Amino acid sequence: METHENEPLNQENGPPVFKSWNQLYAFVLILHAVIILLFYLFTQAYA
Amino acid sequence: MHTLDWIVMLGTLLTIVAYGVWKTRSVKSVQSYLLGDRDLPWWTIGLSIMATQASAITFLSTPGQAYEDGMRFAQFYFGLPVAMVFLAVFVLPIYYRLKVYTAYEYLEGRFDLKTRTMAAILFLVQRGLAAGITIYAPAIILSSILNWPLTPTTLFIGVVVIFYTVMGGTKAVSVTQKQQMIVILTGMFIAAIILVLKLPTDVSFSDAVGVAGKMGKLNVVDFNFDLSNRYTFWSGMLGGVFLFLSYFGTDQSQVQRYLSGKSLAESRLGLLFNGILKVPMQFLILFVGILVFVFFQFNHPPVHFNAANVDKLKGTAYEQQYNDYSDQYAQLNDQKEAEIRQMIQAMRQDDDASLQSAQNRYETISQQEEEVRDNVKGIILEQNPGAKTEDTDYVFITFVTTYLPIGLVGLLLAVIFSAAMSSTASELNALATTTVIDLYRRSFASNKSDHHYLQMSKFFTILWGGIALLFALIANLFDNLIEAVNIIGSLFYGVILGIFMVAFFMKKIRGNAVFIAAIIGELIVLVIFVLDKYEVISIAYLWLNLIGCILVMILSQLFSLGSNRDEEIV
Repeated sequence: METHENEPLNQENGPPVFKSWNQLYAFVLILHAVIILLFYLFTQAYA
Repeated sequence: MHTLDWIVMLGTLLTIVAYGVWKTRSVKSVQSYLLGDRDLPWWTIGLSIMATQASAITFLSTPGQAYEDGMRFAQFYFGLPVAMVFLAVFVLPIYYRLKVYTAYEYLEGRFDLKTRTMAAILFLVQRGLAAGITIYAPAIILSSILNWPLTPTTLFIGVVVIFYTVMGGTKAVSVTQKQQMIVILTGMFIAAIILVLKLPTDVSFSDAVGVAGKMGKLNVVDFNFDLSNRYTFWSGMLGGVFLFLSYFGTDQSQVQRYLSGKSLAESRLGLLFNGILKVPMQFLILFVGILVFVFFQFNHPPVHFNAANVDKLKGTAYEQQYNDYSDQYAQLNDQKEAEIRQMIQAMRQDDDASLQSAQNRYETISQQEEEVRDNVKGIILEQNPGAKTEDTDYVFITFVTTYLPIGLVGLLLAVIFSAAMSSTASELNALATTTVIDLYRRSFASNKSDHHYLQMSKFFTILWGGIALLFALIANLFDNLIEAVNIIGSLFYGVILGIFMVAFFMKKIRGNAVFIAAIIGELIVLVIFVLDKYEVISIAYLWLNLIGCILVMILSQLFSLGSNRDEEIV
């Protein structure tokens, strides 16, 4: 199998809605943190 | 089972399979067969990734786990979104740049052939074992509850999956998974709604959640750091991240899903789609288990959920004893229901004193119930010493077959079969791809025609399907099926991930160092697992992922330093 590690990537599209991939990554991680916080509040509310 | 349920179940399953085979009838090259022409959009990739991970075990075992142990299992998935982002940033671009068929192909360019072959073999061993459980798990449970014979049920799942995976390759897997995932999500959502509708008229949804909370079932997040506790925030975020990095980044059954994307961007979005939806989806499945728990507080549950175990007591000296325990259990249930209604009243009136005393009485009755359940397990074992008495995997399916209306039983059974087929199809497809690309074409038959490799890919799909079926037919039931699959994964994933982490981030380390480090690392992981099994030490299995990975990285560095010194001396 041939490999071409030094070839540039094919032209890459940006993500939909967000301006950059970094913004989308941040969105996923912040959303996850919010979900965990909500789970924590849920746990506390019914403990 | 009612005729309408048969029609719904078989109609749903066979329509999906027929659609998958028809859509992929033009697959004629090995690239198309193994990579699906790389033309899939992100939502198909995302659903395919989710369907691959969510096996039938997920839908049978997880609600039962919530019923028994509450919602803390959700923490197992906390590391997943972090892993998705990591893979999208660092790993996907490398795979795309190298245009690889398998994850292990990359290791040869980075290290050497032996490291690639070892990683491929580690994958084949653990995934081959898991594929057997993926087929066996739903077959044993469905056959027990529905009185279907086990072997034909196992063969039905296995043969249908092998058929469409052989016919259409990876594209058939992805196309069918999209439909299967839609059926799965719809079915589980309907189950949740029915459970809420089936609550007694004087018990609201809010009351039901309150009751579950008072029973300690809504323990989603636990921040206590305890290495021996399987599910905490820390085991999920640390051990879980490593498990999911390894599973999604180096397990071919997942890598193959996103390598069939139209572009790097589509594959990234597919991974992130999974990162966003997976944790809420698991929460929903666990919450269905909680609703089943509340449902059975107001409706008599069987004293033992595995009907096959109970059937074996009939006509024996133990039958009368079982009936007595069953009656006793029903009476305790009535008492418990009365206490729950007291608790609901107290919660509505904010009467903490009444709530506490009702809760104390409830707990006393629960302990008595547990004793009765243990006694029933005792007579099951006396009558059949080889019986498996753990019955949490049977809780949800018992509810489905006993309390859902006609038609919906068929739909929920289609959910379970769909889940079994979707994950098994990915596994067989990946096992065949790795065998052909990393072993057969690379080391045994390197200059054959495209048609030859296509035929061999189909042959190895059938072969692995046969091995998985054989394993499924002779396997024994683990105490908890979903944990069994995760434990098998954790034994190997850490080391495989370690090899890839060294490849990605420790650029100076060569093949020999990582190869020896991986062998030693795997042995240490296995020794830790055995020591834990025999209670010499206590360490939850999720940590094995982290330990295996760190060991390979540290040992590679040490061996690399040693070999550099040797080279300097020479």
